[in-house]
Amino acid sequence: MADLGRAALVVSLGLSLYALAVGGYAAATNRRRLAFSARNALFCAFGSTLIAAAVLAVALVRHDFSFQYVAAHTNRTLPTQYALSAFWGGQEGSLLLWLLILTGYGALAVALNRTLLRDLVAWVVPVLGGIATFFAFVLVAVASPFDTQTAPVDGAGLTPSLQNPYMVAHPPMLYLGYVGLSIPFAFAAGALLSGRTDERWIVATRRWTLAAWMFLGFGQLLGSHWAYVEVGWGGYYAWDPVENAALMPWLAATAFLHSVMIQERKGMLKVWNMVLVALAFELSVFGTFLTRSGVVNSIHSFAKSPIGSWFLAFVVISSLFSVALILWRLPLLKARTKLESALSREAVFLYNNLLLVALSLTILWGVIFPIVTQLFKGESRTIGRPYYDFFLRSFGLPLLLLMGIGPLIAWRRTSVRALARVLALPAAAALASGVLLVVAGAGSSRPGLIAYTFSSFVLATIIVELVRGTRATGSLFALVSRNRRRYGGYVVHAAVVLLAIGIAGSSAYGSSTERRLTTGESMKVNGYTLTLRGIVHPPNQNATETRAVFDVHGRWNGTIMSGDNQYRNPPEPSREVGIKTDWLRAEDLYVIADDINTKTGVIYVKVLVKPLVNLIWIAGIVFLFGSLVALWPDAREQRRLVTRLAPARA
Amino acid sequence: MATRNPARLIVALAVAAVLAVFLLYTAVAGHSTPTYTPSQLAGHAGSLAVVGKVVGPVAGDSHSSTGLRFGMRNIDGKGHVVSIVYRGDNPPPLFKVGRDVVVSGTYANGRVSSSSLITKCPSKYQAAKTPS
Repeated sequence: MADLGRAALVVSLGLSLYALAVGGYAAATNRRRLAFSARNALFCAFGSTLIAAAVLAVALVRHDFSFQYVAAHTNRTLPTQYALSAFWGGQEGSLLLWLLILTGYGALAVALNRTLLRDLVAWVVPVLGGIATFFAFVLVAVASPFDTQTAPVDGAGLTPSLQNPYMVAHPPMLYLGYVGLSIPFAFAAGALLSGRTDERWIVATRRWTLAAWMFLGFGQLLGSHWAYVEVGWGGYYAWDPVENAALMPWLAATAFLHSVMIQERKGMLKVWNMVLVALAFELSVFGTFLTRSGVVNSIHSFAKSPIGSWFLAFVVISSLFSVALILWRLPLLKARTKLESALSREAVFLYNNLLLVALSLTILWGVIFPIVTQLFKGESRTIGRPYYDFFLRSFGLPLLLLMGIGPLIAWRRTSVRALARVLALPAAAALASGVLLVVAGAGSSRPGLIAYTFSSFVLATIIVELVRGTRATGSLFALVSRNRRRYGGYVVHAAVVLLAIGIAGSSAYGSSTERRLTTGESMKVNGYTLTLRGIVHPPNQNATETRAVFDVHGRWNGTIMSGDNQYRNPPEPSREVGIKTDWLRAEDLYVIADDINTKTGVIYVKVLVKPLVNLIWIAGIVFLFGSLVALWPDAREQRRLVTRLAPARA
Repeated sequence: MATRNPARLIVALAVAAVLAVFLLYTAVAGHSTPTYTPSQLAGHAGSLAVVGKVVGPVAGDSHSSTGLRFGMRNIDGKGHVVSIVYRGDNPPPLFKVGRDVVVSGTYANGRVSSSSLITKCPSKYQAAKTPS
């Protein structure tokens, strides 16, 4: 079995290399038959990678511990779904998943565009072949999931905190996002190499970018929710380098999704879009380098591994390749039109782009700051949460405001008076909600108050747009169907507003109390009274469970339990928090019981009240829905684009 | 009035402003903390963070005035042991001898007095030993 997996990977490497070398030669010399064979090699690389993936999946499900990888990440008692999730639970398996998605995505993207963009696709094949060659090489030569051993009696098992449904979905979502950014990058590089720098590559890859962005965004929210319910520290994002590794390319991709609209419509920002698509791709690979190399400290225990240096080399080479390509093709990237006014939709999109890229780069600066200080000052200095929070407020709040202005401001140019007229209603709604919030006592946090006021503004603009559009078309459904991209975008904007309200509410207006309690004692926290009723040990086959039981009175009456599990295999503890959600307020009562002394009945308890925190998770669902609306095939839009791009195809 | 190319100007100004803000912020008001391994601590003092592996014995209580006391050694197991006194919230459940942790606090007289203790999360990519 392992031999089959190894052989399949070697074949994938050979086919990817063929797609790179022969595809590049064919595209450069305009040899169509050779280009077809390179394209077919890419298709077959997906097939052989699929065989390798199937071999590993079967070994995981069958608990074949002769595979070192299977023995290191599973054991016999692990349920099948978690045994399968160990596919991406280890370094080698996750690299195989990366290659599988890359070759799958690549084959599909090339197949779908093979007749429409033949000259461009001829160059896309070697670019995708080059990326696939790198991953296949790492899998064959550096980190193989098919190394074997004499099978032990049992495997090491999967860390208990990873035996969670979120961990089944969160990593593959991130990979679908990370790897998905390779497709727009390959088409952009193909456009530059072929000299076809019109808008066709953007049209061809818009949905690929949107899908990658959706997976990356939703994957991050799944990870945050996992941290919130499973890790048990009461938070959902720690600005850790590993977490930032996913956020940075997502921000760059967000900027790209907005700026391509300007290129499609006005033929502007061509260089900028090339830079953005390259930045998003490089950041996704750089994130992998960060997590694999161990060059920066992370609360996530990613092993130091020799593949980090391979990734660094790949990032450097692909970045140089991208910069050289853009510089070489600068004369072909001249804008068709120019920005006519700083008060126009184009300009607002540009401001939005600058803020998104600035946020992404400041996070990058924070992540690499320990490396930079180590290099230049000889000591590693780590940047803490206040730095990131400062920039999130500095760039995030103006971004929120622009999200409201963007959809309402006119293309090309507008006057201050006309703008004021358009924005009057949403601005009045925002002002009114700001005043109401101050009256309601929410003025204690200035950033929170600003975030809420701006959020009201954005929601009001979305409602104004929907009402206006529905009046014109007669129904909301017809309105959305006519321009799914635009109205899907508005739904995503609404999700961002919910996210902003949730983050501001839970961080700026949350409360936390901690103390030692003995059985029968009570504590009061922000409208709740918790009384420790006792300590129990619910039965569990795999772990010894200890729970402190609290009677809760206040805005909600009932019982809540919190404690820990001591797992037997692997012998690891796991904190089990108690969370009671008040859906009307979107508020959580979050109880962390620690230091539970069964004999004396004494515990140490920390209670957090997190207002509006559940809006963050609801935002995830709304974000997914909006992204799907924008992604949905739209024949009307396709016809519009075909008409608009007809001269470019001629 | 159509300007010649306001986009270029806007981009240049915005990029310059952003660069200025974040360089200034990190240089003047940044919250950066020097991070050392236990073996690098000698000769340093003041506010810092230490990354290393917990070595026993672990004694005391993080809520008491004497704090939770333990030692830390380099993650690779080499170097001398530095003593840590941690006062604050209960340590994370995964905290135990042999675990990789990050403590932040002040270093004086060969001891780190810490108010922040983070146990590295055993996320993926960490293979445990296989029973033979």
